[in-house]
Amino acid sequence: MVRMKNISKVYRAHMIETHALRDFAIHVKEGEFVTVTGPSGSGKTSFLSIAGLLEESSSGEYLLDGVNVGQLSDKERSHLRNEKLGFIFQGFNLIPDLTVFENVDVPLRYRGFSRAERKERIDHVLAQVGLTARKAHFPSELSGGQQQRVAIARALAGSPRLLLADEPTGNLDTQMARTVMELLEKINQAGTTILMVTHDPELALRSQRNVHIVDGQVSDLVRRHSSLVAG
Amino acid sequence: MFFYYFKIGLHNLRRNPVLTALMVLTLAVGIAASISTLTILRMMSQDPIPQKSERLLVPIIDNSDPSKYIPADRTGSHLLNYRDSVNFLDRHWATNRTAIYTIRRGLQFHPIGNNAATELITVDGIATTNSYFAMFDVPFAFGAAWSAEDEKNHAKVAVINSQTASKLVGSQSPVGKVIQLGSDEYRIVGVVGKWNPVPRYTNVLLNDDEFAGEDQIYIPFQTAIANRIDPFAGFFDCSGAVPAAGFDGWLSTNCTWIQFWFEVESTQKIAQLKSQINEYTAQEQQYGRFQRRAENKLLNVMQWLDYLELVDSSYKISTGLSFAFLALCTVNTIGLLLAKFSSRSTEVGVRRALGASKLDIFSQFLIETLVIGLAGGLLGVVLSYSALWIISQQTKQFMVVAQMDVKMLLIAFVFSVLASVLAGLFPIWRACQITPAIQLKSQ
Repeated sequence: MVRMKNISKVYRAHMIETHALRDFAIHVKEGEFVTVTGPSGSGKTSFLSIAGLLEESSSGEYLLDGVNVGQLSDKERSHLRNEKLGFIFQGFNLIPDLTVFENVDVPLRYRGFSRAERKERIDHVLAQVGLTARKAHFPSELSGGQQQRVAIARALAGSPRLLLADEPTGNLDTQMARTVMELLEKINQAGTTILMVTHDPELALRSQRNVHIVDGQVSDLVRRHSSLVAG
Repeated sequence: MFFYYFKIGLHNLRRNPVLTALMVLTLAVGIAASISTLTILRMMSQDPIPQKSERLLVPIIDNSDPSKYIPADRTGSHLLNYRDSVNFLDRHWATNRTAIYTIRRGLQFHPIGNNAATELITVDGIATTNSYFAMFDVPFAFGAAWSAEDEKNHAKVAVINSQTASKLVGSQSPVGKVIQLGSDEYRIVGVVGKWNPVPRYTNVLLNDDEFAGEDQIYIPFQTAIANRIDPFAGFFDCSGAVPAAGFDGWLSTNCTWIQFWFEVESTQKIAQLKSQINEYTAQEQQYGRFQRRAENKLLNVMQWLDYLELVDSSYKISTGLSFAFLALCTVNTIGLLLAKFSSRSTEVGVRRALGASKLDIFSQFLIETLVIGLAGGLLGVVLSYSALWIISQQTKQFMVVAQMDVKMLLIAFVFSVLASVLAGLFPIWRACQITPAIQLKSQ
């Protein structure tokens, strides 16, 4: 699903170069639930941004679902993002002026679905996250956990192949975090590949595979399940 | 997608009401200033008779004293003297021709069966030929122009305007009624209907009322001359000798006081008419006239209005200034749009992440800007109407020219939308440059 080779990402600001990723390589298979961990500034979010086509890498090769994204135009990348990817952010990033229904509607509008299909999909995903009753509410009228569930519904509405989550439970209390996590696991079991950045070792433990990034490189690709349990 | 963006645009007008109100108001004030001045300028300089303005011609010939010539002075006069007018009328050049001079008479009306006359009113008008009404497409409410027979017989007949008619007989037809004009009795043969060319171009009217004035009475030129009716003061051009005393002085003088018009069948006939006039002035030179040998000219209606300088250059300057003001408003709107859009960079980031291309973002913000432009145009039209109403209350002249038509209304909307799009280009471009990743990380 995600295959990266020799990826590097350099930020230039005020004559200073920062290497967020260097010679980065990873292969995420279809249907995997991969957590990404690492210290602050290690390059986790840069990796997720590049994987999610939100940023371009400085060099290297990236195949998303077999498509080499390096040569794509803005329009093609946007289209690919819309069709294959779903995003869940730490800060939820719902559009405050739109209702729950309208927020979930946003990616479907860009896809060009008919009105009937959009409605069907929105109703379906809102039922999936248990927020059917809230569809006319504005984000400010919801709790943090509910907002994140709306964001998940929005990410799922377009039936993405790959879900990218950046600390999705970072702003939530334990109880809410657990609900969100269970929801993600259910989604994964239904066949969607998930890449999730997290600080929480417990969450990392629950995934099938954990990728640890240090200084812009993958430091360890082994399953840390057993060692962490032992430690 | 258009209606989706349009809905979002409408929705977002309410999102930041103060900023939105400021933008709409800024655009509206700029539109109102430019549209109201442009309306007045346009009405003042419009073609009053577009269907034949190129075929109606005023002769400009120069029969003034060569010794009185001041260098750089305009040569020629737009008026003719009596001799040339009669000669031009008699020669039957072109399709049609008319001579006009201004008169002012006292008018009284004697209703039949009632010996008491109405009170004496003063009427301003013209002595002209019956061809006048056909040449300038003058409509009649009642009756018609006098006949060629009337002209030949120097019949005492008159055409009056609707306003004067209603003063005399209300809404009835006054045709056939007799009025006392000066010391003579005239029979009314026609009433001019609604005829309101702006500007008034057929002759220079009294009181400088080129935009609102109206002739109240029309009598046959030949009758006026036969009855020795003096031209009303002010409208003559003397370079040299003062006319001899009395009406015969007017007929023999070289001073010019008669407005003359030709109507040609087509613009191809203008050259022929010009050579006929050239031949005429060359002949007259034998009698010691036209000694300046200035070029004879024929001005069509628009050239004639230009010649009269009806549109004060200050109107042009104020129109220019009002457009500069609109430009200033547009620049101001750029700042306000920047503020409005930059507060929504998160939304842009999210939309980009969810699959919006730069073009999608561009379209969305452009349509939002158009919504603001339309709202500004709507308020601008309301303000323009108010401004024009206030202006029209100042003078009778402004009452006529401060009128907005459908075309100006559309122009107002087009200007407003253009101004908003122009103001929006930079802020929209900036919004499109937002890279989703950076924006979302800062959350």
